[in-house]
Amino acid sequence: MVSGRSLEAATALITGAFGAAVIVSSLDNGIGWSAAGVESGTFPLIVGLVILAGSLFNLVQGWLHARAVILGPSELRRLATLFVPAAVFVGVIPLIGMYPAAALYVFGALAWHRRGSLLLAAIAAIGAALALYLMFELTFQISLPRGALGTFFGF
Amino acid sequence: MENLEALMHGFGIALSGNHIFLMVIGVLLGILVGVLPGLGAPNGVSLLLPLTFGMQPVSAIILLSSMYWGALFGGSVTSILFNIPGEPSSVATTFDGYPMARDGRPTTALATAFGSAAFGALAGVVLITLAASWVAQVALAFGPPEYFAVYFLAFASFIGMGGSPPIKTLVSLAIGFALAAVGIDTVSGSVRLTMGIDEMVKGVSFVVAVMGLFGIGELMIAVEEEFHVKAISSKVEWREVFRTLVGLPKHGWALLRSAAIGCWMGITPGGPTAASFMSYGIAKRLSPRRANFGKGEPEGIVAPEAADHAAGTSALLPMLSLGIPGSATAAVMMGGLMIWGLNPGPMLFVEQKDFVWGLIASMYLGNVVAVVLVLLTVPIFAALMRVPFFIIAPVIVIICTVGAYSVSNSYLDVMLMMGFGVLGYLFKKLHYPLAPLVLAIVIGDKAEDAFRQSMLMSKGSLGIFFAKPLVTTLILLGVALLLMPTIWRTIGRMMPRSEVKP
Repeated sequence: MVSGRSLEAATALITGAFGAAVIVSSLDNGIGWSAAGVESGTFPLIVGLVILAGSLFNLVQGWLHARAVILGPSELRRLATLFVPAAVFVGVIPLIGMYPAAALYVFGALAWHRRGSLLLAAIAAIGAALALYLMFELTFQISLPRGALGTFFGF
Repeated sequence: MENLEALMHGFGIALSGNHIFLMVIGVLLGILVGVLPGLGAPNGVSLLLPLTFGMQPVSAIILLSSMYWGALFGGSVTSILFNIPGEPSSVATTFDGYPMARDGRPTTALATAFGSAAFGALAGVVLITLAASWVAQVALAFGPPEYFAVYFLAFASFIGMGGSPPIKTLVSLAIGFALAAVGIDTVSGSVRLTMGIDEMVKGVSFVVAVMGLFGIGELMIAVEEEFHVKAISSKVEWREVFRTLVGLPKHGWALLRSAAIGCWMGITPGGPTAASFMSYGIAKRLSPRRANFGKGEPEGIVAPEAADHAAGTSALLPMLSLGIPGSATAAVMMGGLMIWGLNPGPMLFVEQKDFVWGLIASMYLGNVVAVVLVLLTVPIFAALMRVPFFIIAPVIVIICTVGAYSVSNSYLDVMLMMGFGVLGYLFKKLHYPLAPLVLAIVIGDKAEDAFRQSMLMSKGSLGIFFAKPLVTTLILLGVALLLMPTIWRTIGRMMPRSEVKP
């Protein structure tokens, strides 16, 4: 279970960490005024400081206000059923390539919800991969990643 | 008069078979992304972007802008029939649109929405026709300090008028700026903010950010809220459509007021979402039938719809004449303009007359096409909503993934997109606005360049922003907008509590 308070805090910490990274990184580029004008690290430094300060403010604000639970167990479960398969799909692309990954993703989604037969799910999966191929590879000539598997088979 | 001549010339360009065909395709695709939760106008336009690279710029912008109109209309369809806003900007339409449809008057609700939307869009286009070239002419005399001041004003108005918590808006905006700075610095040529990853030299594309923030993020919001599709009859009765449209003028005052709010919010980048909420709120406060709001009051549909479309349309005015997009979708389109080799801003009106006036003329036609098509296709797209969400979700994830990958054939972009997805979800959930982030990615570099060039002119003195009346006025206006939330709060505290929220 996640309360509004911890979600606010987590978000503020993420943005704050990003701000801090921007500040540190911008120091490498030089800050301030040189013969060539404003040095290239200056603008990112200011922006990074704004992010960090704003995040601190949001952290405190979030901590003071929202207390109620905004994500119960059922919400979290629904989020996971979307996000985990999506993350797995994206994660396996370098291994097995876009087409098999997309086909497995569609197949998995249909099979999981047990609507219709597995055969239907398989047809939909192959259809999805084929549609991607026709749309991108043939029509717009954008080559989608083949993955290690594709390299292995020389595809 | 000169504008009218140019507009007629524009109609000559827009009224070709090819362009009408593109309008129809664009509007239909737009309605599709507008109807589907998780896909919206910014995503749809980003997805189409790579396909336009081989086109004439004017054809490309007609396709993309038509998609925008289609998406704006499509979002209202699901708001009214299913109580599910297909677009963030049509959330306010659900308040009265859905109750009216539920009470057995879906056609009246749809026709009221589309009629007011068309009026709002028309108001926006007329404003562009009359004012855009004038604004561009003024802007031709702008130097770097004036430009920086205008950018400052734009960002300040987000913070002051966007309607989200100001500090959250500021953080969102600043993150966009930081992301814009990633990669090679255009002034010095040095590499910035790559965090040790060599591939980051190419920078963070706004398309990747849009796919994640609006695509994956919105999808997560949609599954989490688990909407239940309760089908309302989606049959359109044409007799009722005409009766409703003929009756619209009795809401004339509400229409005019809402369109004006929309145009204002579109030009100063408050965006369509903020415009529709603001317009609804004001309509509710001013209406004698206040108690009826939320129960199917026609003006509760008129106000958000007219403002939404007026804002969406007029968001293109600053994009064309100043190079500052007024909404997230306009920002994506402006990114497209730059990829096609055009330089958004006042020079467009001098160098690319065909492009500018062809686009403006197509906006008149595109909205007519959109109203007709959306009425004809309501039953089809409504049927689409009955496709179970667990089928739609993987399709949208795959589309966003491929969309992010195809920007520069990079797997890193796909990873970034997933990161943006999580961020987009958190931001949406906690009322951080997303539009400023996208806007800042697109125009962050330009704003920074303007600042650094101004500093070069003044040899490092900030005084240059207070040297001439125009710059000073713009900067002071920006500061005033920044302070708006604080001022309102102070006034709110001093006023007696009696007339707050009916």
